[in-house]
Amino acid sequence: MKLNNVVKFLGITLVLYSLIFGLLIPLKPGVLTVDPFKINTGKDNKIEITGYNTHFKSSSTLEVYLKLSDQQFIKASGIDKITDSKLTATFNIPAFLATNDQVVDAVLIVNSDLDGAIVKPSAVSIKQDSINVDEAKKLAVSMDPPKLLKHKSFSFPYRLILEETIRNVYYHVPLWFAMIVLFGYSVWASWKFLKTKENRFDHIAVAATTVGIILGVLGLLTGAVWAKNTWGQYWSGDIKQNMTAISLLIYLAYFVLRSSLDDDLKKNTLSAVYNIFAFTALIPLIFVIPRLTDSLHPGNGGNPAIGGEDLDNSMRMIFYPACIGWIIVSLWLADLYRRILNLEKRNLDI
Amino acid sequence: MQSIVHLLNKEIILEWRQRHSLGGILLYVLATVFIVFSMIKNIAPPVWIALYWIIVLFAAANATTRSFYQESGNRQLFYYQISHSLSFIFSKLVYNLLILILISTITWLGFSFFTKPMVKNYPLFILCIVLGSAAFSTIYTFVSSIAGKTPNGAAMMAILSFPLLIPVLLTLLKLSAQACRLMNDTGYWKDIVILLSIDGLLIGIMIFLFPFVWRD
Repeated sequence: MKLNNVVKFLGITLVLYSLIFGLLIPLKPGVLTVDPFKINTGKDNKIEITGYNTHFKSSSTLEVYLKLSDQQFIKASGIDKITDSKLTATFNIPAFLATNDQVVDAVLIVNSDLDGAIVKPSAVSIKQDSINVDEAKKLAVSMDPPKLLKHKSFSFPYRLILEETIRNVYYHVPLWFAMIVLFGYSVWASWKFLKTKENRFDHIAVAATTVGIILGVLGLLTGAVWAKNTWGQYWSGDIKQNMTAISLLIYLAYFVLRSSLDDDLKKNTLSAVYNIFAFTALIPLIFVIPRLTDSLHPGNGGNPAIGGEDLDNSMRMIFYPACIGWIIVSLWLADLYRRILNLEKRNLDI
Repeated sequence: MQSIVHLLNKEIILEWRQRHSLGGILLYVLATVFIVFSMIKNIAPPVWIALYWIIVLFAAANATTRSFYQESGNRQLFYYQISHSLSFIFSKLVYNLLILILISTITWLGFSFFTKPMVKNYPLFILCIVLGSAAFSTIYTFVSSIAGKTPNGAAMMAILSFPLLIPVLLTLLKLSAQACRLMNDTGYWKDIVILLSIDGLLIGIMIFLFPFVWRD
């Protein structure tokens, strides 16, 4: 595919844009740790909160809440700002809670004018020694739900466990998309070759497959690094990881098949046939089986991972351009390689 | 249809004339089963299932590699003139399917003879064997038609077909675990549907592609 210069320029711009802004834009403030996370009712509890990207010290209004249910909030009676990322909040927990459970998981809300509202679900578990709902109703201080402030500057969402690695979405996922596009392109070229027996289509298929394999390896490596940081090890035997390894094996076999044949026409025909056959065998592998099996990847069991709460608007602004950019750049790479192959065969259609 | 039956008939007659090669495959299976049994005396059910399918995988590769090798170039040319490509590949496909069902059944019987019976749900396991043999024979028949044209066919056969077979094997493993009551998954019909759709897809694409291999 010969690309227009404007399209090439667009591809480079989009990739650079996603690299620069994907790495530079900060994450939203978040709460890293809460210590102690187990507290008891009926006394003053001092909780130390460690934040990430937060501005505790410099914010002028700062409120800390524990949310027990939609109606029940406990506001911190005292806040001691230590640094921008550390504060201690004192909570005066009543002796009884208006619930029949022994242990209540409370949501921690830090509301500040600079950082907006930071919410950490199940941050603190409160244990009550005995249950007395009637007494709790008397003790409870009625309070309106706090008005949550908004974080103003542009930032990416802060997610537990993922944290800074959330940026990998802009590199790991577009590499897969580009790989699928290139494999599809090479299947199309193989099909054209079988119909016309023109060698230039074979060169397209080889070039697209080669670049596709490189993208696949890169996708596997970025995924492995990501998995190390979030799931704990490089290879978790996740269904998508296994399927990727299989598809790389299949495409490596394609090159072994090519290298074992000498006659050009036979080589090109057989490898084109195998390419189409292998891609068809990959369809259930990539698109069907992972959706029916449990997976560590987001979006298992039916829906793809794009959309939903995993990708918010700030991330879409980087993610979609990154996908388009990587696809353009990899098509361009494949085109360059196709031209090299053409030159090697003394075919001057470059 | 008529020519498929004729060609299938020819395959069976040829096989009968060379009884030693089919006998060789069956002996290969039994010897492997016995080796496995002698090495692992108290075999655990998950290992049993894995070994079963591995033995079937390799025995099937051995049995099907012959389908395009035993016939010389001249004879291929003869078939090319008298029959349609599709009836040719289908006769090979059905023949390989029968051989593979035979091999997997013999392996199963051999295993059940040496170890205690593992399979609890017989109809499901037989369904596994039939669907698995169908997928194996489709992939092996088509790949052997490609590998038959390369100089080092047997190695090429393994390289080209094993990666394609992994999804089938993984699904079979799950289904046979179900048949041995190792796990209780009410959604096992999904695996059957996956196997059926893989079979259908591969046969469809084979009908589409084989004329190109054949004409070469």
